[in-house]
Amino acid sequence: MSLWLAFALMTAAAIFAVLWPLGRRKAATGGSDLAVYRDQLDEIARDRADGRIGEAEAEAAKIEVSRRLIAAADASEARQPAVDTAAPAWRRRAAALIGLILLPVGAVALYSVLGSPQLPGQPLAERMASARQDRSIQNLVSQVEAHLEKNPNDVRGYEVVAPVYLRMGRFADAVNARRKVIALAGETSERQSDLGEALAAAANGVVTVDAKAAFERAIELDPKNLKALFFIGIAAEQDGDRHKAAAIFTTMLKDAPADAPWAPVVREALTRVGGTPPAAVAAPAAGQPGPSAADVAAADQMSEKDRGDMIRGMVAKLADRLKEKGDDLAGWQRLLRAYMVLGERDKAKSAAGDARKALASDPEKLRQIDDMIKSMGIEG
Amino acid sequence: MIPEIGHYALVLALGLALIQATVPLYGTIKRDESLMRLASSTAVMQLVFAAGSFAALTACYVTSDFSVANVFENSHSMMPLIYKFTSVWGNHEGSMLLWVLILALFGGSVAAFGNNLPVTLKANVLAVQAWIACSFYFFILLTSNPFLRLARPPLEGRDLNPILQDPGLAIHPPLLYLGYVGFSIAFSFAIAALIEGRIDAAWARWVRPWTLAAWMFLTVGIAMGSYWAYYELGWGGFWFWDPVENASLMPWLAGTALLHSAVVMEKRNALKIWTVLLAILAFSLSLIGTFLVRSGVLTSVHAFAEDPSRGVFILGILVLFIGGGLSLFAWRAPLLKQGGLFAPVSREGALVFNNLFLTTACLTVFVGTLYPLALEAFNGEKISVGAPFFNLTFAPLFIPLMFAMPFGTLLAWKRGDLLGVAQRLMAAFAAGIAAIALTLVATGTQHVLAPFGIGLAFFVIVGALVDIAERIALFRAPLKASWSRMRGLPRSAWGTAIAHAGVAVTLIGITGAATWGTERIVAMKEGQTITLSGYALTFDGMVQRSGPNFRVLAGKFTLREGGSVIGIMEPSKRTFGARGMTTTEAALLSRGVSQLYLSLGDVNGDGTVAIRFYYKPLVLLIWLGAVVMALGGALSLSDRRLRVGAPKPAAKAANSAPDLQPAE
Amino acid sequence: MTRKQRRLTLIGGSLAVLGIAAGLVLFALKDSIVFFNSPTDVVEKQLAPGTRIRVGGLVEPGSLKKGDNLQVSFKVTDGAHEIGVHYQGIVPDLFREGQGVVAEGRLEPGGVLAADTVLAKHDERYMPREVVDALKKSGRWQEGEMKADAHVVGKKP
Repeated sequence: MSLWLAFALMTAAAIFAVLWPLGRRKAATGGSDLAVYRDQLDEIARDRADGRIGEAEAEAAKIEVSRRLIAAADASEARQPAVDTAAPAWRRRAAALIGLILLPVGAVALYSVLGSPQLPGQPLAERMASARQDRSIQNLVSQVEAHLEKNPNDVRGYEVVAPVYLRMGRFADAVNARRKVIALAGETSERQSDLGEALAAAANGVVTVDAKAAFERAIELDPKNLKALFFIGIAAEQDGDRHKAAAIFTTMLKDAPADAPWAPVVREALTRVGGTPPAAVAAPAAGQPGPSAADVAAADQMSEKDRGDMIRGMVAKLADRLKEKGDDLAGWQRLLRAYMVLGERDKAKSAAGDARKALASDPEKLRQIDDMIKSMGIEG
Repeated sequence: MIPEIGHYALVLALGLALIQATVPLYGTIKRDESLMRLASSTAVMQLVFAAGSFAALTACYVTSDFSVANVFENSHSMMPLIYKFTSVWGNHEGSMLLWVLILALFGGSVAAFGNNLPVTLKANVLAVQAWIACSFYFFILLTSNPFLRLARPPLEGRDLNPILQDPGLAIHPPLLYLGYVGFSIAFSFAIAALIEGRIDAAWARWVRPWTLAAWMFLTVGIAMGSYWAYYELGWGGFWFWDPVENASLMPWLAGTALLHSAVVMEKRNALKIWTVLLAILAFSLSLIGTFLVRSGVLTSVHAFAEDPSRGVFILGILVLFIGGGLSLFAWRAPLLKQGGLFAPVSREGALVFNNLFLTTACLTVFVGTLYPLALEAFNGEKISVGAPFFNLTFAPLFIPLMFAMPFGTLLAWKRGDLLGVAQRLMAAFAAGIAAIALTLVATGTQHVLAPFGIGLAFFVIVGALVDIAERIALFRAPLKASWSRMRGLPRSAWGTAIAHAGVAVTLIGITGAATWGTERIVAMKEGQTITLSGYALTFDGMVQRSGPNFRVLAGKFTLREGGSVIGIMEPSKRTFGARGMTTTEAALLSRGVSQLYLSLGDVNGDGTVAIRFYYKPLVLLIWLGAVVMALGGALSLSDRRLRVGAPKPAAKAANSAPDLQPAE
Repeated sequence: MTRKQRRLTLIGGSLAVLGIAAGLVLFALKDSIVFFNSPTDVVEKQLAPGTRIRVGGLVEPGSLKKGDNLQVSFKVTDGAHEIGVHYQGIVPDLFREGQGVVAEGRLEPGGVLAADTVLAKHDERYMPREVVDALKKSGRWQEGEMKADAHVVGKKP
């Protein structure tokens, strides 16, 4: 059963709950307070008969309840009847309209803002069954764990399992494994920065004092350790020291090889701390048209406003190109990221729609672009 | 697909609640019956969708669907199945979903079983109920949505907070919520009565079963919470005067007062305004209880959700319902007519006495709980108000209350004879004095107050028996007549006696555990033996094990009494890998209603292990008493008279479970 | 009695009970409340020995010493000042050096706290609220770093 069919059935049930009582034309069957008082009189009579209360007491209580009964009867006669049998039909029609139109429209509108109907449910068992890869990871991990239980001093085992732990979200285990590696095989810059990464992951991405110490040690051992540099930058950002963070990120990008895979991440981080990526699009991937070195050099000389204009111009060029040649996934991704960086959410949104259309023929590319749109919160 | 169905069901429930909150109300103004009838059908369907939504979230937990952010954050695929269920409400979002589910459950029950209510009252009650529901649906959907998704689900969840992975917590919150939320019905009845501007003795009878049900659940819920804290927190305390505990105690006190004042209203048509006020207050205190836990304003063991932005939303709900309810009360209450007269010494007078002390006790708890907050808001000074404060204020108010209890049930309506009642209570007095004397002989004069606590408890228990004996004229009439009277005695009379006795049982437990308990805190070597109150405890060594999602470090101890082994105790520490947390699991050994309690501290470098070893005499009576109280409530709830007034009682009463369908 | 007299009796009785309760509350508040202080407060306010207080901060790394018979001593710091604490009993599961802690007890001559209750962090992500406030004051707290919440984990009755 498709999701939308289920939604339709549920909506129909909700509408039914509204329409059903409107359709019936039956007299009211509510209770009334008279019944309660009559029961109280019965009870007094019963208590008296069983001798649980005295004659005088019973008499007094009876009078009191009778008075209540009479008053209630009078009141219910004097009051307008609770139900007006000649209620005009338009009211029921209005209520029916609320149920038929307002309810479904409102529900769908609210849901479309909050829900994620495009995401399928992913129970673990199903994921395990469908993705043998995941299962093999589980198996691998338990095999390595069993091996390590027997050979607790096997460095390689810990080195293999640590990144897997990290991916599985078992951060504490990852930290332990990384520590073990250092303890057994001595420290290297790489190992220290890996430890720091695990520590930061365990603290929900916060570079804690421990993690920072690990990264600092890593840099002592190798001043060019990129991971350590990056996290020290993040630490500075979390400490609120944006200038320091920006300086670190900028240095990293300056030294970056043209096609460094990590460059976009650092660039993103740099934008976040308010710096301008020195070469926002300066690292064209092979075969991707991008601004020439001259353009970039020029950008360095320009004023803030001019630079913005130039970037906008380049983005517009990219957008035009994608309109003609739409199956370029990397191009779309760059365009969306550029719009988000420039703060042009509306354009990003419409570009997201275009991208989906243009990539519709390739399910794999479509999934990737969907993921990205989701993760960047473009439509949120 | 399942999480999205749950999400959409929640949205639809909100839609139906919005209709239920408005259309029937308009219907009662225009006296249009079809519009009023809409209240019942929407309430039932709203329940169906709320239940569906809850079921969907539960399904996500059971199948470890980590594409739901809430499941990822609070579950783990290796967790035992029962905790996959309980972790649904072991977190903020899920517990709020449970909250609205129970709200919808009570609304749906009124719709389905409230046939004895006049149509307008029923429509108004359900409309008010839907206002509350709407605000909480909005709260959930906008600030605490449990159905938010992760596009790339992680392989493993973060696990439920280990301290919550415990059977006690499995049952504790739902019961507590059944109590809290149950008072919403009393609130809705009160608001509906104020809207109609009319209230009378019959109203009290209609509202009584719902209040009784809520009170029962709250009683058991509080007791469960107390027992959970007792064995999970590792130092053997059963009540901490923790703000969250106070938050559940306050509605209980107000609800107990409401139960009693509703009796006066039902029988004598008096105390009407006061009863309406209590109904508003009981639910207001429940909301404050929710607020205290949810907003993170107060800090405590139970506060597993903390997010001030949500607090602001809840504060809005609080202001709306408490402020709105009390304003409506101030405006409309003068319209309500005065009721019957009574002398100060009478059953009514005794019930007023009860109300006075209960509400005052509630007030002192309120002050003690909120004073630190107020002080901090005013001058930034941070203080903590602890157990000494509450012991000093709460106990002096509860002692006269309990002393008056047996008198109250024996006094006649309207004008009572105090001296006559005292004479009839001779047996109870004798029992109380005998208990004091025996306790003094048995335990010495070291603790002066304790024997009086025991004496008071026996006075109340025998007083409850005297009440029943008086009603069936035991020993005054022939046994056969007494027998037939006993069979004719309404169940609510039994319920009253049993519930009152339950309070006394709890008092015995508190007195025993608090005064005669002994403890030792030592570091033990393997093979060492220590003694406590005649029990010898030998430390046999440590063992390691692994549980489903944790590792266990347990100590093995042998307990001997008079040389013979009476049990093995295995207190342990559990380390949960996913969060890197440790919990302490105490070992308990019951000896009758007393318990031995052993919990582990640190393992020291020299191989010794720190332990806490307590002897807690009579401690089980504390919770047993609460169960007895709830039992009394259940008996009272099954009273035939509470179901009177339905147009077709015979047809449906036959297949109705009395506990679930009180208002049939 | 007339209706009026009855009502007066009722109101009089209620006022008497409320009055007694108010008296009890005020008396108890005077005697049984405990003020929270950061180590800096303790140093600056020159609190008299014998005062019952709560002190919150971080357990200073390297200061934790365990003695015989479950004696524990450590220092609580808020970055600016520190105060010594000694305690006999079992410390909570999550009591560690460098972590948040709240200790309650009497101040001894010499400015050392004889604690009878030690509360610790309840979860890696949480910290006692009072500790957070104390650290914020001394500028050692980064907003958003951890969520603030106190949890009682260990307590000596």
